[in-house]
Amino acid sequence: MNEYVVRFSLRQRIEHFSVMVLFTVLAITGLSQKFFDNWWAARAIAAMGGIDRVRWIHRAAGVLFAALAIVHFAAGAWLVLSRRSSASMVPTRKDFRDAVVALRYYLRISDVEARFDRFDYRQKFEYWGLVLGGLVMMVTGFILLYPVTVARWLPGQLIPAAKIAHSNEGLLAFLVVITWHIFNAHLSPEVFPFDPSIFSGKLSRERMAKEHPLEYARIRAAEEKPRPQAGETP
Amino acid sequence: MLSLRKRLRSQTLGPASKMVGRPLQFFALFFLAILAPARSSAIAPAPASNGLCLACHGNPAAATKLANGEPLSLFVDPKAFARSVHGGKLACADCHVDMARVPHGVRQFKSRRAMSLAYYELCKRCHFAQYARLLDGVHYALLAKGDDRAPTCVDCHGSHGIGRPDQPRTRISATCARCHAAVVAAYRRSVHGEALASGNPDVPVCTDCHRAHDNANPLSAAWHLSIDRLCARCHANRALMAKYGISTQVLTTYLNDFHGMTASLYRSEKVRPAMFTATCTDCHGAHDIGRVGAPGSPAIKANLRKTCARCHRGASANFPSAWIGHYEPSLSHAPLVYLVKLFYLIFIPFVIGGLVIQILLHLWRAVVNR
Repeated sequence: MNEYVVRFSLRQRIEHFSVMVLFTVLAITGLSQKFFDNWWAARAIAAMGGIDRVRWIHRAAGVLFAALAIVHFAAGAWLVLSRRSSASMVPTRKDFRDAVVALRYYLRISDVEARFDRFDYRQKFEYWGLVLGGLVMMVTGFILLYPVTVARWLPGQLIPAAKIAHSNEGLLAFLVVITWHIFNAHLSPEVFPFDPSIFSGKLSRERMAKEHPLEYARIRAAEEKPRPQAGETP
Repeated sequence: MLSLRKRLRSQTLGPASKMVGRPLQFFALFFLAILAPARSSAIAPAPASNGLCLACHGNPAAATKLANGEPLSLFVDPKAFARSVHGGKLACADCHVDMARVPHGVRQFKSRRAMSLAYYELCKRCHFAQYARLLDGVHYALLAKGDDRAPTCVDCHGSHGIGRPDQPRTRISATCARCHAAVVAAYRRSVHGEALASGNPDVPVCTDCHRAHDNANPLSAAWHLSIDRLCARCHANRALMAKYGISTQVLTTYLNDFHGMTASLYRSEKVRPAMFTATCTDCHGAHDIGRVGAPGSPAIKANLRKTCARCHRGASANFPSAWIGHYEPSLSHAPLVYLVKLFYLIFIPFVIGGLVIQILLHLWRAVVNR
């Protein structure tokens, strides 16, 4: 028996890596535009070769981000519809119950820990935060990239509103990543200093049992169903 | 610059091959001995030596011919000089240093213009600061390229009858109009020009924006990108704008918007920007600027589509409302923008606060478990 279970497919790992790179590029080029009158932003823009180039990089990365989103949803829909994968990322009533259990545990009202399935409520929150936030960024980004075209059909006020939304949603995403994601993937005592599972695709059985007991129980059951071969310990 | 100086020097001091104004020398010699120090005017006593010069140059008929056949009057009106800012202060030879000796040496000038250009550096002996600034100006740049039409000191200030160039204030635009007639005509019809004509001292005249001596090239990218600062000198001045009920938010709202942000970033770039961004005058007009409420104003709502379309090709009737004007969004003005802003003002602290609380609780429980 392996020491680990394979948790993420190669496609998922590549997607994470691409989002990571694109998000970093978008955040650097975007935040330096949002805070352009601060010295550090002015210096960053100059270092990247001027505002025109910064905008070009930002737009190119935005288009790639949108393409990645399309690939992600197409692949996800295909996997779910063809029953190769379950819709394990969809929030359920259990997630809300889990959040309450976790809160009671944190506040020492009870010592019962929530038992999670493939994704816990925090991971779902972060995923859907990225999806919805990304959707806002893509729609408003499109409006800002093609203001004249958009205003041909829609009210002009949408353009400054999109600018405010794009800039604030981007800041929110950045803040979520540097607090929530960095904590969960790096600073949390369970994973400190670095949780490599999204890069390697593997998670140790020890952690699986602790962090995703429901999914792990399923995996164990599936592993035990086939006849054990000679010499192998169950 | 050096080449120009050389050129001018060779004109001034070059070997004389042709005598110009010869009879005057004899006049001068004759009067040298007999003339007493003259008081040319009641305003101020002229330096004693001026009388000597006026012995010849006080004659209205004194004239000569230049190489190209142009007549050159040698007459200096003593009354005009006495009334001038230099009257009573300067002797002729203070400026005409090379004419101190009588008879004057022989000089050769092709034309009146050539003579003007040969002598324009005389003023710098006293007005060096202005001269130094002139060297940074667009007029001097033209002159250095060999464009004879570029003005030198005397073209704007005059020579013997120099008065204060800004007395009265309308005189400034009149001076510029001698070359820039169309621009000044547009200015006179503008909201600034009309106010100036009615005696309002608050409005800018040519030199307030373009400066007097070191006027930069207004067609350059650097100039275009500095226009917001230029307008802001008055339009961000609360006390001044309060007199006319004009908002001073114009600059901050511009700078916070896409155009203004681009302009301020372009300004700090070393290379000429590849793209164009609108500054004040691109929407409001420059010399012909009018009130925003005036029917002809390019910044009035009825004309905005056309104004936007000058850069944003294909701008539809909806497009101008993308510019929410020089006003902060509010419930009554651009409510959608205001509400989106308000939403994030609440939403961002709510989300981040919640996440930070969750992180702290997680850490706390981890410590407790130990």
